[in-house]
Amino acid sequence: VFPGVRQAQWLTKTKLVEGLPPAVQSIVDNPALGLQELEERAKHMVSHARLWDTAEVAPRRERYCPMLFENLIHICRLMSAKYPSLSKRMLARNCRIAATWERESILLQVRGLSGILMNSMTPIAPVASKEEILATKEHVLETFYPIAPTIDLQEVKVYKELNDTGQCFRDGYPYSQPHTLFFLESANVRTDRFRPEQLRAKMLMFAFGNALAKARALHGNDPKVLEQPVVVQSIGTDGQLFQFMVFQLNTTDLVSNDGVKNLVWIDSDQNLYERAQCVPEVKKRVVTKPAGISGFQPDTFKKFLALYLHGTV
Amino acid sequence: AACRGLGGSAPRCTTDPLWKCRAKYTVRPVGMKKTGGRDHTGRLRVRGIGGGHKRRYRMIDFQRLRYEEGAPPEPFTEKVISVRYDPCRRVRRAGSGPGPGSRASRGPLLTPAAGSPCRSADIALVAGGNRKRWIIATENMQPGNTITNSPHISRMAVSASEGDAYPLGALPIGTLICNLESHPGKGAQYIRAAGTCGVLLRKVNGTAIVQLPSKRQMQVLETCVATVGRVSNVDHNKRVIGKAGRNRWLGKRPHTGLWHRKGGWAGRKIKPLPPMKSYVNLPRVKAVE
Repeated sequence: VFPGVRQAQWLTKTKLVEGLPPAVQSIVDNPALGLQELEERAKHMVSHARLWDTAEVAPRRERYCPMLFENLIHICRLMSAKYPSLSKRMLARNCRIAATWERESILLQVRGLSGILMNSMTPIAPVASKEEILATKEHVLETFYPIAPTIDLQEVKVYKELNDTGQCFRDGYPYSQPHTLFFLESANVRTDRFRPEQLRAKMLMFAFGNALAKARALHGNDPKVLEQPVVVQSIGTDGQLFQFMVFQLNTTDLVSNDGVKNLVWIDSDQNLYERAQCVPEVKKRVVTKPAGISGFQPDTFKKFLALYLHGTV
Repeated sequence: AACRGLGGSAPRCTTDPLWKCRAKYTVRPVGMKKTGGRDHTGRLRVRGIGGGHKRRYRMIDFQRLRYEEGAPPEPFTEKVISVRYDPCRRVRRAGSGPGPGSRASRGPLLTPAAGSPCRSADIALVAGGNRKRWIIATENMQPGNTITNSPHISRMAVSASEGDAYPLGALPIGTLICNLESHPGKGAQYIRAAGTCGVLLRKVNGTAIVQLPSKRQMQVLETCVATVGRVSNVDHNKRVIGKAGRNRWLGKRPHTGLWHRKGGWAGRKIKPLPPMKSYVNLPRVKAVE
């Protein structure tokens, strides 16, 4: 109907900011990290995932998407030699998330498997300053008259209003803070995959669900403005396009339309590489596109790494 | 391009004989089963039908004043999201014919992929409140327009803009209308073809008299709802088929080549207009004993 991010913004009472927050951007631009030599490694990893992984001619998306993700995470983990606090992270797959909230007398909920979640021991510091948070008070959420904002949402009978961060993350578990969510669109058929804007909306909703459940676990169920905002990052990809998102939950008071809003920084449609040719394309006996990865963008990988390192650097 | 929810993963066609019996309304295209001119006994009933590009049916809502569940019966507005033509009768590119496997049928950009059965008008996806539906588009409908549907009849005639749906009693006489109902709440059955429009001639007591495109006049109750404007795709009758293959893509098989002498049914007929058709049950005047 319209791009899903706008609808998700209304549902989660969020203000959108284009591009990554300055804190993450500074990690990207920081030359001390030595991101240059990692670029070679990243190219290697992309070739491995896209070209060399299989005995057939080309691996399918179901294979290369998770393989690429694993490789990128591997490179990120190698940095923990420099930053020991990086080892205090853990990955959880297929964890269930459940969060319910009321939005102008409509009860909404996010349920389901939330992709791959990475947790850490220490929470991420709030990215936006206090002034920015207060400035969101003036921001007006857009209305979609005459279309209701809950259009295209499934109507479900709710028997229990659940707010749950996941079954295994009870109190006392060392890695309790949600850090980053990863979403891999690895269906083979194009119609089963989410389109980029739908993927961004899904990332926003799940990041919000995680943040809300964590905030409720920390501060209780009453709707209020949080003095310590909860920050959750999220990366979504379909093997080639990457969407980066940083979500900051400022308030759990979602019933009214005014007041402090939550903030989200979205960097969308970052290509990691242009083409990955497995077999050189030949037209009229002349090789037009040689085999291999072409158009590799190191910036995308730097942003991936920056989001991974955010919170420890 | 309009974004259409999650990419349509409805089947392209079915062999299910009960595909017409779908009870719940859905926006997604429904797989159709072609009959080839055969009826329920399996024998050929209508000649000249068969083959043609695969199609998926989009359920069109002809009752404009259909309220959502739980919504009060009062005027509501909807927004037009997309207007797509029905490639049922317009197959553009050469070589696009009977090759259903070669085309991914999703998105309104890929034109001759699927169409609704034998509709020459364009259909529009409108959304209001919490639901979306397909309706017959009027002539100048663009994505992003807002249309209103209202059941009220006031003493002053409403200045209706194109695409709105009002009862006939609320419209000024002389407006061009389409999608007319014969009984209130029945759903539009008249004036639905491409480029057609009826004219509201006069309003008498609680009824209204409409002139149909065939110049026949029809009397209906003034609470019957009609949409304002001409039906879309106005140049439909000016198109040129161009070649025999295009007719085959539309599912029409060739006529026989045998020469018949034409009888009394052929040729131009000039006769007076049939009398006005009245769908209003006037109370029978009781015979005075």
